[in-house]
Amino acid sequence: MNITVKCFATLSRFSPPDVDAYAISPGDTVAAVVARLGIPEEELKLVFVNGAHAPLDTLLADGDRVGLFPAVGGG
Amino acid sequence: MAAPEDLQDLALSEERIRGLVQQTRLADGRELPVLPFYHVLELARSLSRSKNHKLAQPRGHAVALVERAALALGICPERYLRNYDAYSLKEQLRLLEGDVAQVGLGGLGGHLLELLARAGVGHIRAVDGDEFVPSNLNRQLYATRRSLGGYKAAAAAARLRLVNPAVAFEPIAKFLDEAEMGCFVAGAHLCLDALGGLKDRAALLRQTTAANVPLVTAAVAGQSGFVATVLPGGPGPFDFFGAGAGAEDTLGTPAPAVATAAALMADEALNILSGRGPRLAGKMLVFDLNQMSFETLTL
Repeated sequence: MNITVKCFATLSRFSPPDVDAYAISPGDTVAAVVARLGIPEEELKLVFVNGAHAPLDTLLADGDRVGLFPAVGGG
Repeated sequence: MAAPEDLQDLALSEERIRGLVQQTRLADGRELPVLPFYHVLELARSLSRSKNHKLAQPRGHAVALVERAALALGICPERYLRNYDAYSLKEQLRLLEGDVAQVGLGGLGGHLLELLARAGVGHIRAVDGDEFVPSNLNRQLYATRRSLGGYKAAAAAARLRLVNPAVAFEPIAKFLDEAEMGCFVAGAHLCLDALGGLKDRAALLRQTTAANVPLVTAAVAGQSGFVATVLPGGPGPFDFFGAGAGAEDTLGTPAPAVATAAALMADEALNILSGRGPRLAGKMLVFDLNQMSFETLTL
């Protein structure tokens, strides 16, 4: 099972090498992936799954697209 | 908007405008009646001279009256010829009647204001208490060697007089507290959040919600950023970000990303002001110029 993981802005330093085919196991949630990538909880502000805002406990399926955002406020 | 009786009063009769029209053939063969740029100025000058119409002072207001009168007759002022027909003449008239409240005249705000003024948004009030410092020069449109140390609001006002005098521009060189934000956005058709940093974003959102004014917002960090529209009571990105440090503190705010966000904000603002309706309500359009990727996400 593979998913796409996109880490924005400062979170890009946690991007896995295989962003377009990141391997997950059945039963993995967004939280499990975030923990495995080593992203500190306080840095992660917004999670999207397949283009829609989703909670951390969202169960992931093969082919899902996950987007992870820190706080962004520059102008 | 000038009423029909005003038009006569202003020596701006339909006949007089029509007499100055040049039929312009568009690339696809259609004819468009155009009021040449210098005729607009001449008509505005004669308005400003007419003693019985105080409304027409100062000159910029007279230009706006002439442009609106022409558009109401289905005539395109030459200045807006290349807006056609990305915006119909009716939509162009709505833009000239538009009233926006913009918070911030820095990186996002300078580019944004420039685009709105050129598009012909008729009424813009903008607030920023800040002065230009050298680190603004990498991205802020109105930061120049000459404007350093001066108020951003003053530089913006000087620029708008050069770009489009028909814009009724109200600059305010002041940092607003939350109650003042409420007064500032009251009655506007639209509020534009061109703030930098996260500190004041939530307060502005509370005030636009209370005033029932839609908000177009954006932020940038490094080569990525987003633009979003928050309708009163609807979800927005800053519901989630808190008021602490943002990623821009380490990644910076380079000019192409800032100008990209400002251009997307401007287009969404014109969608709303022209009557087409927002495209990003409850969503955020996210871009990453490092990957050259754009994606619209639902909040």
